Amino acid sequence: MRRLLTLAASATFLVVLLAPPALAIDVTAKELIDDGAEYDGMTVTVVGELIGDYGQRRGGYTWTQLNEDPYVVEPIARDGRPAGGNIGIGVMVPSPLMEGLDAPGRYRQVGPLVSLTGVWKYHDPARHGESFLHVAELALVRRGEALSEPPDWAALVGGAALMVGGALMLYARRRSEQST
Amino acid sequence: MLIRPAADDFRVVGDALGRVFLATAAAALLPVVWAIIGREWHPLGSFVLMVGVFVAVGGFLVAISRQKSDPLKTAQRGLDWSHGMVVVAVAWLVVPAVGSIPFVLSGHFASPVDAYFDAMSGLSTTGLALVADLDHLASSINFWRHLLHFLGGQGIIIAALLLFAGKGGTTLFHGEGREDRMLPSVQSTAKAIWAVSFLHLAVGVVALSAVASVILGYSWNRALFHGLMIFFAAFDTGGFAPQSTSIGYYHSATFEAVTAVLMVAGALSFGFHFRLWSRSDRRYTGRSKRVDVSDRDANSRWSLLKNLESRAIITTFLLTLGFTLVGLAAMGAYSSVTGLSRQGFFQLLSAHTGTGFATVPSAEMAGWVGLAFGGMAVAMALGGMASSTAGGVKALRIGLTVRAITDEVRGDLLPDGALVDDSYYQFGRRRLTAEVARSAMVVSLLFVALYLIGAAIGIVYDVPLQSALFESVSAGANVGLSVGVTDQAMPVLLKLTYIVEMWLGRLEFIAAFVLVGFIYAWVRGR
Repeated sequence: MRRLLTLAASATFLVVLLAPPALAIDVTAKELIDDGAEYDGMTVTVVGELIGDYGQRRGGYTWTQLNEDPYVVEPIARDGRPAGGNIGIGVMVPSPLMEGLDAPGRYRQVGPLVSLTGVWKYHDPARHGESFLHVAELALVRRGEALSEPPDWAALVGGAALMVGGALMLYARRRSEQST
Repeated sequence: MLIRPAADDFRVVGDALGRVFLATAAAALLPVVWAIIGREWHPLGSFVLMVGVFVAVGGFLVAISRQKSDPLKTAQRGLDWSHGMVVVAVAWLVVPAVGSIPFVLSGHFASPVDAYFDAMSGLSTTGLALVADLDHLASSINFWRHLLHFLGGQGIIIAALLLFAGKGGTTLFHGEGREDRMLPSVQSTAKAIWAVSFLHLAVGVVALSAVASVILGYSWNRALFHGLMIFFAAFDTGGFAPQSTSIGYYHSATFEAVTAVLMVAGALSFGFHFRLWSRSDRRYTGRSKRVDVSDRDANSRWSLLKNLESRAIITTFLLTLGFTLVGLAAMGAYSSVTGLSRQGFFQLLSAHTGTGFATVPSAEMAGWVGLAFGGMAVAMALGGMASSTAGGVKALRIGLTVRAITDEVRGDLLPDGALVDDSYYQFGRRRLTAEVARSAMVVSLLFVALYLIGAAIGIVYDVPLQSALFESVSAGANVGLSVGVTDQAMPVLLKLTYIVEMWLGRLEFIAAFVLVGFIYAWVRGR
């Protein structure tokens, strides 16, 4: 009987230990920004694109930004249209979870789309009032992707022609001054 | 009777404007180099086109503005006061128009008005932004955005003065809202301003990059990029940032501390900087009659703290900080004293220096009410020191206005015939004349009117009173903090209102009024 109880307790402990993702609430980055206090201390799951830099700091954590906005689906460099500003939150991820990820989103680079689960810290006293997601679990949804943008030949040639034109006008004025 | 400007007036103005555009073209070559090094070929074309337009317009104006030699005239006409003001006012409208070409071609702006809005915001060191998807913007375009802060803050006119030193420099200098001539000539003062700026550039970029590399763990090239961008925006009290979450992106108290030092440095007048780092005041007082050097401590750096302007800015900063912190505490916004202090201090410092950096989202700041809102709004409205890159009413005018009022009250309270000491200390003892007091009060009232008109137009478009006032003050005082009103979706008229506010606030009205008078005289004069 005692052995059975020990087994049951161990099984329960394991379930609790492995369960956090199932208990997490699905939220958007905008909800965390607009109603940050409501989610303070709660385990949440946010999906978005990793952006900017992977700043590996002492203590084994990497700080970066997670964006969840229209550009995650349609980047401007891939014919996306301007659709407002970015919507992003700061995320603190254990560095081992970041291994193997593609470069973060920047110019001509779509960052990896990830699902992050962790505790939302709103005005965290331990970090003097910062708000961020303390990530416990990271799942890759879509790999990052490098984009290309062709040169704008029309602007290049037009600009060069204007420069030459302007320089010629200045030269003509100087010649005219010298002759009088 | 109004006198219609003559052809010579247009030639003089055209020649000076052309030279300003050519100087700006030289500066605009920097992002060309950046794009080549970064192999960003698409933006490269837009930068070449922008430089081409600057050169073509500048070259055309200089070429057609040549005054014909007239043997009866003893001298060619030079730039007088009104010409200088017209040049500055027009330059500050046209440079952002041409400077917005790379923005338009980047695809990150919904319309040319949005691109012009950001270019004006950059040049006027405001920091409000309508750019879409900033986080994927090309680094060369980001560099140009921040370089606009540097050009606007340090003065494109000053750059032109250095490149094309000539007559009329003084009026151009004052037209940009600079009153503090540190050295006998405008050219030497311009050189000193750029020397101070480059010294801070070197120290600031190294400090920020070191923090970004060592503490934040960025690669060295990214650390340098962030350091350079944030330096431009902090020292020129601009407020643009390379990432959408502003300074909140860095999640670092150390990075904020270095940024805060640079913001304060940017809000100090160039005269203050110059005297702070000069060995002796003699270099600039020896040949100037403006300063009474009989004060025993005139050569001491500590005398800078005796300045009316220094005392005014310290007082207003402490008062508005107190209001903001008490307001945030009353709202229960932060559960810890350190959180309240760090976040409240940084936002308030950013507001008072006219920078516009934030570590909290605009949606959160929109919820700051009562004293917290009041402290922030007043700090933005007041701004930094005169002849600095900061906007707003300016501490010197606040000090002079308060001093004039207290002198008036003291005069009324004292017995008849008693003399009231009407002197004040500002780099030496000076008399507070009725003319000085009136000038300070008029410009202060113009700023208040600007803030209120902008807020009223916001209210017409159903923006709540508090938000409309906050955003209008932010635009008019060239701050850049936002509570979410500034957005691509806002009405075009409101965008244009903020553009005009940024322009008027940066030029401190006079140059703009002279331009209007010049156009009116051209149309209606005889």
